[in-house]
Amino acid sequence: MEGVLSILTNPYYNQVLTMMGIFLIAALGLHLITGVTGQFSFGHAAFLSIGAYSSALMTIYLHTPFFLNMLVGGLLAALFGILLGIPSMRLTGDYLGITTLGFGEIVRIVFINTKITGGAMGLGGIPKETNIAIVYILVVLTVFSLYRIQNSRFGRALAAIREDEIAAETMGINVYWYKIKAFAVGTFFAGVSGALFAHMMQYLNPSDFGFSRSFDILNFVVLGGLGSIPGTILGTAVLSLAPEFLRFVKEYRMLIYGALMILMMIFRPYGLLGNVDLVRVFRSLRSRGAGKGTVSGDS
Amino acid sequence: MRKRIYLFALVALLAVALLAAGCGGSKDAPKAAGGDTIKIGFLGGKTGAHAHYGIETLKGMQMAVDDINKAGGVLGKKLEIVEGDHGSNSSEAANVTQKMITQKVVAIVGDPTTGITKTAAQICQPAKVVLLSAGAVGTGVVEIGDYIYRDTLLDAVAAPAVTKYLSEELKWKKVALVTTTGLSYSESLTAIFKPALAKYGVEIVAEQSIMEKDTNFSAQVTSLSQKSFDGVIFTGYYTEGALFMKEMRKQGLNQVMAGGDGLLGQELYQLGEKAVEGSMVYAGFAVDSKNAVGITKEFIDKYQAKNNNSKPDMFAAQGYDAVMMLAEAMKKANSADPTVFKEALAKTKDFKGVTGTITFDANREPIKSPVYLQEVKNSEFVVKTVIPTA
Repeated sequence: MEGVLSILTNPYYNQVLTMMGIFLIAALGLHLITGVTGQFSFGHAAFLSIGAYSSALMTIYLHTPFFLNMLVGGLLAALFGILLGIPSMRLTGDYLGITTLGFGEIVRIVFINTKITGGAMGLGGIPKETNIAIVYILVVLTVFSLYRIQNSRFGRALAAIREDEIAAETMGINVYWYKIKAFAVGTFFAGVSGALFAHMMQYLNPSDFGFSRSFDILNFVVLGGLGSIPGTILGTAVLSLAPEFLRFVKEYRMLIYGALMILMMIFRPYGLLGNVDLVRVFRSLRSRGAGKGTVSGDS
Repeated sequence: MRKRIYLFALVALLAVALLAAGCGGSKDAPKAAGGDTIKIGFLGGKTGAHAHYGIETLKGMQMAVDDINKAGGVLGKKLEIVEGDHGSNSSEAANVTQKMITQKVVAIVGDPTTGITKTAAQICQPAKVVLLSAGAVGTGVVEIGDYIYRDTLLDAVAAPAVTKYLSEELKWKKVALVTTTGLSYSESLTAIFKPALAKYGVEIVAEQSIMEKDTNFSAQVTSLSQKSFDGVIFTGYYTEGALFMKEMRKQGLNQVMAGGDGLLGQELYQLGEKAVEGSMVYAGFAVDSKNAVGITKEFIDKYQAKNNNSKPDMFAAQGYDAVMMLAEAMKKANSADPTVFKEALAKTKDFKGVTGTITFDANREPIKSPVYLQEVKNSEFVVKTVIPTA
């Protein structure tokens, strides 16, 4: 307990864990799009930036409360998600990937060339509103709502789309609209995450939301295990903490980080928790513990 | 199923091992903090897009720390550098800044870029740790708070001095002004040059705007060819600068250009070749092998001895000066407590560094002298003149 307290009061651990929580919300949003629905998005950072800039500008110029700004940031990101979704959700696979990639670049260039966002000089003077408690309350809310979504009729429809679009269509699922809805929910969480990021860093620069950031978030989802919420959480935790904990090896840090990713992909191509249903694992462990020897037969 | 559980357990074990290793490493830090060294943080990228700036800054800092420690340290204690490499990534920069603060650094030197300096400043100011950037030139940096400083040559100081030289020594009376629109560096430099040109009686006979990543400037140059002028003031970056000069030579215009350190890069003459010969670039530091004296010469010699005879650049020199200024402020204040010695740092006046003299004005902005005006000669930057600023 004392250890936990000292982690929370140490500003460095606090900072690292808060950043992890912020990216976790974004990753969970992408999890719904890529993991559950099976649609590739290489432009997730663009939605982060929309949430970040819109909420920051509201805080600076309109002085509206932070939670409202965060909500508006999320909704605005979702709106752009829908607008992007309408033309691009007719595409699949590589084509969709390229479209989202292009969108990500467009958003970044727009922010670089807009006066009100400070252009390439960045936007400063954002008050600090984000703290570890707010972030983790929102993480819990996000996990809960995604869990509910995934296990609803809507969520199962999305999973059906991922598995086989044609079969899903024949079962009466409007594939196109379901994809857009998934995209809207996923980008909403990206916007919220962006708002938290803006009020944590207190300074925004369009270069923070480049392709590499989108790719980082995609890595969290894919390495953790596509379609698994615990996987996404684990993936985000491992990949965002690894560069920090590897700091002691100095220049070799990113080398080891890269090697870690390659090893994970070789030994766990479906991600750390891909194809692992934690609920079932715990149940089988419990039944084993209770029944002593009554091993479930599917090993 | 069982195999999967084993695999999962293995991966989980690895993750825990990683966590444990990390925690173990950082737990050692407080022990060292109680020792008898004064810790100064280095914030910069040793990898990533801005790695060159970071590595050079660190080299300069290390030389300064070695020099100070050889002379007995500060307040009877030795200086120690705590490295914070952020891989040129701003969210990592926030983490690493926070980490250095928990490791009890009294001051941080960095970051070489304006953007990350602003990010770090937001953390250093409330934590009451001095941040002295050895590279940030953009606006809105020291305004963040009274713990934030920089030791760079500001365009607002340099551009008027250079304009004075162009007008009085080189007798430029008419110039063409070329701005890269959409590039904040170029637009703000143009805004500084305009009043300076007016002040020294230089007329702007033509103004042209180009875009970053443009490669064809024939329209702009054709328009310029109908005017007569003594030179071009170019406020953009080296790539466009080189190509612009090439187009001018192609159309038979023989004027040279002058601009800020955005033009400073070997790409200027690699790309521009003969067309940029004679073009002038100013910067806060350059190696003037013939005329360097005193500590500047010592610094250059020492750097060359350590680095296979390669010349130190502006970042190394500013990194060196940053540590020296911090040490002097601590000595003056007789304290290594940032809340105390920041007052002494703010009062820095006529500090003699290897890049020249540095004074902090009432707004804690650095006023530096001199400006190094360099000229491209035989595909190399050569110091043309050293201009003292007013």
